[in-house]
Amino acid sequence: MKMPAVPLAPDMTMPAVAPAPDLMPPAGPATAKPELVLKSSEFRKGRAEGWRELEGLIDRVERRGVRALSLDELQRLPILYRAALSSLSVARTIALDRNLLLYLEGLSVRAFLAVYGPRANPFEGLRSFFGHDLPAAVRSARWHILIAALAMLVGTAAGFMLTVQDEAWFTSLVPSGLSGGRGPSATHAELYNHEIFAPWPGAVESFGVFAAVLFNHNTLVGILTFGLGMGAGIPTIMLTVYQGLPLGAFLALHYNRDLTVDFLGWVSIHGTTELGALILFAAGGLVIAEKMLFPGRYSRLENLAIHGRLAAQMAVGAVVMLFAAAILEGGLRQLVQSTPLRFTIGFGVGALWLAYFCLAGREARR
Amino acid sequence: MTVPPLTHDRTSDFLEGGRHERRQIMTPEGVPLSVELADYGERMIAFVIDLVIWFLLMLAILIPLVSAIGVGGGSLIAISIALFIAFLIRNLYFVAFELAWRGATPGKRLTGLRVIDRAGGPLVPSAIVARNLTREIETFIPLGVLMTMQKGAGGTLDLANLGIAVWMLFFAALPFINRDRMRGGDLLAGTLVISLPKRVLLDDLVERKAKFTFTEQQLQAYGAFELQVLEELLRRPVTVDSLRLLKEVCDKICNKIGWPTPVEPAEMMPFLREFYTAERAFLEREQLFGKARADKYAGKGA
Repeated sequence: MKMPAVPLAPDMTMPAVAPAPDLMPPAGPATAKPELVLKSSEFRKGRAEGWRELEGLIDRVERRGVRALSLDELQRLPILYRAALSSLSVARTIALDRNLLLYLEGLSVRAFLAVYGPRANPFEGLRSFFGHDLPAAVRSARWHILIAALAMLVGTAAGFMLTVQDEAWFTSLVPSGLSGGRGPSATHAELYNHEIFAPWPGAVESFGVFAAVLFNHNTLVGILTFGLGMGAGIPTIMLTVYQGLPLGAFLALHYNRDLTVDFLGWVSIHGTTELGALILFAAGGLVIAEKMLFPGRYSRLENLAIHGRLAAQMAVGAVVMLFAAAILEGGLRQLVQSTPLRFTIGFGVGALWLAYFCLAGREARR
Repeated sequence: MTVPPLTHDRTSDFLEGGRHERRQIMTPEGVPLSVELADYGERMIAFVIDLVIWFLLMLAILIPLVSAIGVGGGSLIAISIALFIAFLIRNLYFVAFELAWRGATPGKRLTGLRVIDRAGGPLVPSAIVARNLTREIETFIPLGVLMTMQKGAGGTLDLANLGIAVWMLFFAALPFINRDRMRGGDLLAGTLVISLPKRVLLDDLVERKAKFTFTEQQLQAYGAFELQVLEELLRRPVTVDSLRLLKEVCDKICNKIGWPTPVEPAEMMPFLREFYTAERAFLEREQLFGKARADKYAGKGA
């Protein structure tokens, strides 16, 4: 391309009406010249309409969601979005107009978020979560689940061993809020009549108070176990062992009073679900810990971002399980007054969870 | 993958005093977009607004509920149901709104904030769940424990209280000790909170009728940075202050490019706009030829 001679005419880009070279106006102040045309101004003229249209669409999406758009507008959105992106790329190379660049940057980001926003349909999201994401996340963490289950088993065994030989341990292992008046002084008859086969206190009492309090308490403990995974997993393991201790202590208390089988039935009706949920929380925490400690090919942050979501899915699944456990415990446990039936329900529900986590959503996505 | 910082970002930093940190995200189409990280203050305000809304929502649900139960039954039932509902709303509120409003809660919307995926991908539901579930551990649980815990006897230091205080301090400090201002939930979910100001496309400043003529040598005095600062000044509403500033700028430009005759006060605005036009035309053409000039120092030292 030929460079213009010095001194330059101010129309350094193309003139609207290209004059013949010999007609180029001479340099000097205050002479009449052809209109100035800048490439960047011309570029913007032809496209501004599309940008404004996109801006209007995004405004509505941001205010009222994608549903506010008609079918035609919905089809226009991605086209306009790509056009804005390409405008931005061109503008970055040819334009120095700051307002234009900032406008296009902002417009592109907003359009990007409108086009690639989270899936808005909650039902589809729920179906994909329970049908595929959750069981897949749980399956991918089977070793973490095993470790968490072992930790809880160790806690239970320790609680049992300590209490079975000296029941004074019971009071120190079981928090007073959890013991509910039970302790070394309880007799066989008391435990049998007022705990294991106590009458059902009624719907309001058992669902309104008991189930709600249980759910609150268990969820808080569970989320704590999960979140403490960020501390390299050691607090998670400790907390899981610690959760096993009172269970072991209770078991020992009943073992010493010859109530082992009845107690196990009484616990299992909700225990399979509840302990499963707590183990799932702990396993989620361990996933976080592992991904932070051993990032592999990624940076620690990237790895955490990838697997943190898996762990979070497990935690949500665990919350759902705890909800089920609270219902079972608050309602069904005292309604069903027979140990074999309790075992059947407890292990039946446990088997259902196991089958769900092992089998669901396997063929859904390749 | 990143591209070098853009000139207009640098100009913004200069004009706004470097208030906003910027990050680049890569769209699936392969265009890097520059986003502004949200301020600590903005995020705090958004959170407080959300808390207030949550609290009002709780009251709206609980007052009728408690009065309905309180007449017939014990307060224990009311309290436990209240706790349960509080827990549900607290956790569902953030998740539901961020899902439905594409990464914004009412508080975030009012302050112009959005949650995005750090890598530029779509913001998936599990990420939203992950970043909000940890809110419980970061703030709500320690707050609840601190509130229900009794004071240590005689003002002695309670170890458990101290532990919780350290725990809260750690999570509160987390956004301040990482580059991307992420709290624990953002770390876990791979998200980023950005500020998304709405910008308006203003008219082009280009002056079509040229009265003054500038030589290439004169136009070489400046680069894109100075050009964009001049643009910003010209776009400001005309006041006594801005006119004085423009006068100063005009004098400086005349001095720098060696303009022979002094510019009349009435001529000042046309002169500056034409200088802006000529300078922009020159710099844009140079940029097209691969000779971008970032600022007035470009091409001198090297």
